[in-house]
Amino acid sequence: MPPSDLEQDVARLIVESLQLEVDPADIDPDAPLFRTGLGLDSIDALELALAISRRYGIELRADDEQNGKIFGSLRLLAGYIDTHRK
Amino acid sequence: MNRDDADDRSVPLVERDSDALLFRRAAETLTAARFLRDVQRVAADLPEADHCLNLCQDRYAFTVALAAAGLRGQVSLLSSDRSPASLAGLQARFERVVAVSDTPGADLPPHHHVLALRNDPVAAAPPNPVLPADRLIAIVFTSGSTGAPVGYRKTWGALTERSIAAGLRFGMLASAPAGIVGTVPPQHMYGFETTVLLPLHAMAATWSGPAFYPIDIRDALAAMPAPRVLVTTPLQIRALLDNGMALPPLQAVISATAPLDPALAETAERCWSAPVLEIFGATEVGSIASRRTVAGSAWTTYDGIRLLPAGTDQVLVATPHAEPHPLADRLEALSPTEFRLLGRNADMVKLGGRRASLGGLNAILLSLPGVQDGVFIAPDDLDQRPGARLLAFAVAPDVSSEDILSALRERIEPVFLPRRVIRLGALPRNEAGKIPRAALLELLARDAALR
Repeated sequence: MPPSDLEQDVARLIVESLQLEVDPADIDPDAPLFRTGLGLDSIDALELALAISRRYGIELRADDEQNGKIFGSLRLLAGYIDTHRK
Repeated sequence: MNRDDADDRSVPLVERDSDALLFRRAAETLTAARFLRDVQRVAADLPEADHCLNLCQDRYAFTVALAAAGLRGQVSLLSSDRSPASLAGLQARFERVVAVSDTPGADLPPHHHVLALRNDPVAAAPPNPVLPADRLIAIVFTSGSTGAPVGYRKTWGALTERSIAAGLRFGMLASAPAGIVGTVPPQHMYGFETTVLLPLHAMAATWSGPAFYPIDIRDALAAMPAPRVLVTTPLQIRALLDNGMALPPLQAVISATAPLDPALAETAERCWSAPVLEIFGATEVGSIASRRTVAGSAWTTYDGIRLLPAGTDQVLVATPHAEPHPLADRLEALSPTEFRLLGRNADMVKLGGRRASLGGLNAILLSLPGVQDGVFIAPDDLDQRPGARLLAFAVAPDVSSEDILSALRERIEPVFLPRRVIRLGALPRNEAGKIPRAALLELLARDAALR
């Protein structure tokens, strides 16, 4: 499945807000964002949450993160944003 | 320890009234009586073991498991590094370890026990056990200079004494209990002291659930009774201020794990109309001092803690009932109870509340197959820039940067992973085999220019 517009937008947001050295188009939409995959950490999580709040007006919650609903993959994160944005 | 200093006291598990609120989780009020009942049940349920690897994320469950293990004579192992390799390492290093968790999960080590806490009414007043002060309660781990975690032993007497000193320092012995919301895991020494031990021995109750993102913190504060105290880190203070979300009235904000920028502290004090206080501590010695960031650079030690000079820029920390202990930080003693920080030992890096030795990280890099030489570099603004991470340079003709990074991922904590691994033909080592700092900075500058 090719990445949706929102997935591409979120990929750009991740790369810009975390100053990553990857091309947003190269982020595998189904790979984990943390540890393996992009290898993000807890400091990135906080930074990314701020960027998501600014761009989409959505606040990430630790409960949802622990349930794997947010950072499981780019696709899951975009899906979470799509469901929660007004 | 001197024989004269031997700690032969006995200290009750809880020094609060039986109906006092210790923890709150959503709508649940967890009182001292409920806690003591749950400790009794869990102590009866815990499997036979010598060590209890406490993985609970909920603070109430964590505290019940810690106390139950203590009653059973099991030493709790506390590590904020939850990577499978690290947990397996601890299980291999210690005798008879059982991992205890509050949630079932596929990532639990093979020998584990999942807590079953039932929310039924407390019938009779449960007993409040008394523990000998010299009982070894926990070993708290931090990254060591060889890359392997180093554990520091904590006795019940020393932990409770410090908790009472902290309660006194932060005004938590008054009549109205403070409602604490903590954003640091209970396995981290700072989170352990402030969110787990304080409610047992000071007038304080702790939010039990997760509080990491701004909205978690706001909702948790709203659920806690006033006066509210936010126990957090510079990163989260910055995130809360950037986010701009309104918080319930705060009595104080406490920060630790990294130096707090005075300008940020001033903004926080203005936005939240509350003093912003910093705790200074280390896993080895626990919290030992505090300051109000906007009031100046001097730190004042907790009651009962004194500094002993020990050579240039070094001091020993003298605490009751323990050998004086050196600190990894360089500091200047202004008096036996006041000091100023001069900076960290050049080998130490701190990120996300975790400490690592560059020497230890280098040793891990050099141990990888195909890596002939290598070095980690910390940028100068590591403390200040949220996006700042370590970099690594490696001489590895036959291994790709990606392969080196994935091998490191199995061995070191995520925050210490280099953002990039840059391969070179050779490292600029001098005749002594060392890489001068200037040469490292030149490498960094050259790398930045190429990007």
